[in-house]
Amino acid sequence: MDWTYIQGILMLAGINLISVLGLSLLTGFTGLFSFGHAGFMAIGAYIGALMTVSPSTTPAGLGLPFFVGIIAGGAAAGIVSYFIGRITLSLKGDYFCIATLGFGEATRLLLNNVQIFGGSRGWPGVPYKSTLPVIVLVDVVAVLFLANLIKSRHGRNMIAVREEELAAQVSGIDVFKYKMTALIISAVYAGVAGVFFGHYMTFIQPKMFSMTKSTELTIIVIFGGLGSISGSVLGAVLLTALPEILRAFEIWRLVFYGAAVILIMISRPKGLMGGMELTPSGIRKAQLERKARLEARAEARRLNGLEDGSADEGRGA
Amino acid sequence: MAAILEISNLTKRFGGLAAVNDVSFSVPEGAIVGLIGPNGAGKTTIFNLITGVYSVTSGDVKFQGQSIVGLPPFKIADRGITRTFQNIRLFKNLTVFENVLTACHMSAQYNLAETILRLPRFRKEEKLLYEKAENLLSIMGLTERRDLVANNLPYGMQRRLEIVRALALDPKLLLLDEPAAGMNPDETEHLMNLIGQIRKDFKLSVLVIEHHMDLIMGVCEHIVVLNFGLKLAEGRPEDVANNPKVVEAYLGATEEA
Amino acid sequence: MTQFFQQVINGLSIGSVYALMAVGYSLVYSIMNFSNFAHGGVIMLGAYFGFFSLTLLHLPFLAAFLLASIGTTILAIVVERIAYKPLRERKAPFLYFIISAMGASILLENIVIATIGPTFRTYPEVFARTPISIGPLAIGRLDLLMFVISAVCLTALILFIEKTKMGKAIQAAAYNIKACALMGINTDKVILIVFGLGGFLAGVAGVFFGMKYTVYPQIGNITTKSFIAAVFGGLGSLPGAVLGSVILGILETFVAGYLSSQYRDLIAFVILIGVLIIRPSGIMGKNTEDKA
Repeated sequence: MDWTYIQGILMLAGINLISVLGLSLLTGFTGLFSFGHAGFMAIGAYIGALMTVSPSTTPAGLGLPFFVGIIAGGAAAGIVSYFIGRITLSLKGDYFCIATLGFGEATRLLLNNVQIFGGSRGWPGVPYKSTLPVIVLVDVVAVLFLANLIKSRHGRNMIAVREEELAAQVSGIDVFKYKMTALIISAVYAGVAGVFFGHYMTFIQPKMFSMTKSTELTIIVIFGGLGSISGSVLGAVLLTALPEILRAFEIWRLVFYGAAVILIMISRPKGLMGGMELTPSGIRKAQLERKARLEARAEARRLNGLEDGSADEGRGA
Repeated sequence: MAAILEISNLTKRFGGLAAVNDVSFSVPEGAIVGLIGPNGAGKTTIFNLITGVYSVTSGDVKFQGQSIVGLPPFKIADRGITRTFQNIRLFKNLTVFENVLTACHMSAQYNLAETILRLPRFRKEEKLLYEKAENLLSIMGLTERRDLVANNLPYGMQRRLEIVRALALDPKLLLLDEPAAGMNPDETEHLMNLIGQIRKDFKLSVLVIEHHMDLIMGVCEHIVVLNFGLKLAEGRPEDVANNPKVVEAYLGATEEA
Repeated sequence: MTQFFQQVINGLSIGSVYALMAVGYSLVYSIMNFSNFAHGGVIMLGAYFGFFSLTLLHLPFLAAFLLASIGTTILAIVVERIAYKPLRERKAPFLYFIISAMGASILLENIVIATIGPTFRTYPEVFARTPISIGPLAIGRLDLLMFVISAVCLTALILFIEKTKMGKAIQAAAYNIKACALMGINTDKVILIVFGLGGFLAGVAGVFFGMKYTVYPQIGNITTKSFIAAVFGGLGSLPGAVLGSVILGILETFVAGYLSSQYRDLIAFVILIGVLIIRPSGIMGKNTEDKA
């Protein structure tokens, strides 16, 4: 294993992480499930490429600097997500899921028919701009933004929406607005990830952004544990590296992958981190929570008969 | 005393069925009003209509003199009406403290950009929110349980936490939907005192749905009785208790209860 | 005008195959309230079972059909036992079912790639290519058979659900599965039958799909369209699934015939988004109101 190879895996993991972080906000913290985020990645990748590709390779290319591509790709995904949100966010749980699936597939099929981008044959000649340091930098910024957001009233309102939508509403939380905010932020993250992906592969093709890709992102979020940023980071790194490590088995690796997904669902549905954070304050919180639970249990036992025993029940799924 | 909440000719139909039919009553400022009636009388439906969870078929709901019909629930909460639920709806996987802290959100103004960049206003207001939540927990005697996940709280405490969460919004009118359901007589009495205390300390008006007659008779100044979506009677507790129509409706109901 | 009717006939035939697949999605949804994305994988394997029955075992056509369907029936039940039953027992939220289904779908697709290989395979010619002429209209022999057998299967399914005791239990479970369990209905058995029925029809559909087009591991992705047809008709409603499928089949043929075959796959997703905007519960779906 040489450095170039490892670097490649790290870059892919870093790129995946950007969109996984966004999806983590939407799915892990706000409780909305999307099977269409590859669509936002595709929008980011194509719009980003449109900005940076030199006009001499593709007539449509603008030959602008990379950072313009990043901003444009993220913004385009964000704008599209606003309209998708307007249409779908008032739908109930599973229908939102289905709608995002439809959006993702429709985006891919539309791109198949856009001939200036090469249609289904793909678009070569995207400049190689994604470097490991830049990706790591964006990852760090993305994590910080997200962590700040979660530990604020805005983040707490999103979590409240996930926990109990009706109670959130009567607590004065504009549920639609917060769902929309989470969706737009997650789409921008996915769009930016798409730009980096395109400028890493130097070749983009609609089928790279299929439903399988969307599913993969959601699986990473769940694998890491819903409602945990550190879980998403671990999940993105492990699950991007895993298929690569299994590459020795070549054709069997995706079989293992599928089997692993089922295994996680049936055996450890809370994911790696189960809503905990691997930070000093996160660990302290988990400890306090555990202590409080033990105390409550001890007290309930002491008052046995006087108090009802619901404190004895574990934290239900 | 001026009325803080005025309900006039309120009607809600589900298909052909009128769950609430032409009901009018009002809650005077600072009062504790009880809403009673047999199961299916339309009590919770009225709460859902006041808080905007259901759309009003016809009639009007005025809060502090202004109609709130057609407003979404979060705007109604913003105006100063909050509620609890019959089947407790806490943020189950959050701790007691987080439940209250979340509901304190309206006391802060900082925006998204200030949040992700942790600008001074964010930090200042966030500190105030933490203080406010801690303060509420200590007033309501939940400080010891602050780090417990809401789901692991004993039942009676869950009900109390729901009230604290509602108070965190600084409401002017608090709607309590069967706050004593599932409580033993001791807890019920404790709750009764608590409701009176809250009204005094937080200077608010209360509308409470309850089946425990002790609680209703002990704490309410005014009672509205519903039956099959219609208003059956209203008045002072002792008058309502002696009203033959009310007695009849309740005798019919006690058998099925 | 001739072309118009020709398109309708072609649309009906492909629509009827979609219907075979869509009822599988809808049946499961009606009982378990989640979209079983592993169904696509089961259909794909049905196409392979049929293909190998014909080419390796040299079975006669009808025997191949039967073998494929029995294979997918067992497969669908195995998927349920492994990927969903543990979740059911834990009363997991619907999302876990969907993810588990996605995992099963990835698993099935890649087992096929790893063992059989990713290449496209073409069914041997069972029927003559010469169409049957009715006046100016030409109907492909395969298309006709597809339509007839699909119609027979769907009628049998509806009769089973309407007339038999087990069918009544399925209807009851679709209405309220918890109450069913309390009434002493063996819901585990109901779920087993539902997956078995869906699996059987998936086998029939898979063979037809393979014969009409080709067989390859990613067929499952195309069957997503039949899922959309089920959403279009109203998830959980069998007549809705059939109607949605037929409409989708006809629309698709029209788009391919009058516009461009490039847009054929796109139309399904456009319909999906349209339906979700206008009437999320679909043509015949039940409308549910949230109770506070």
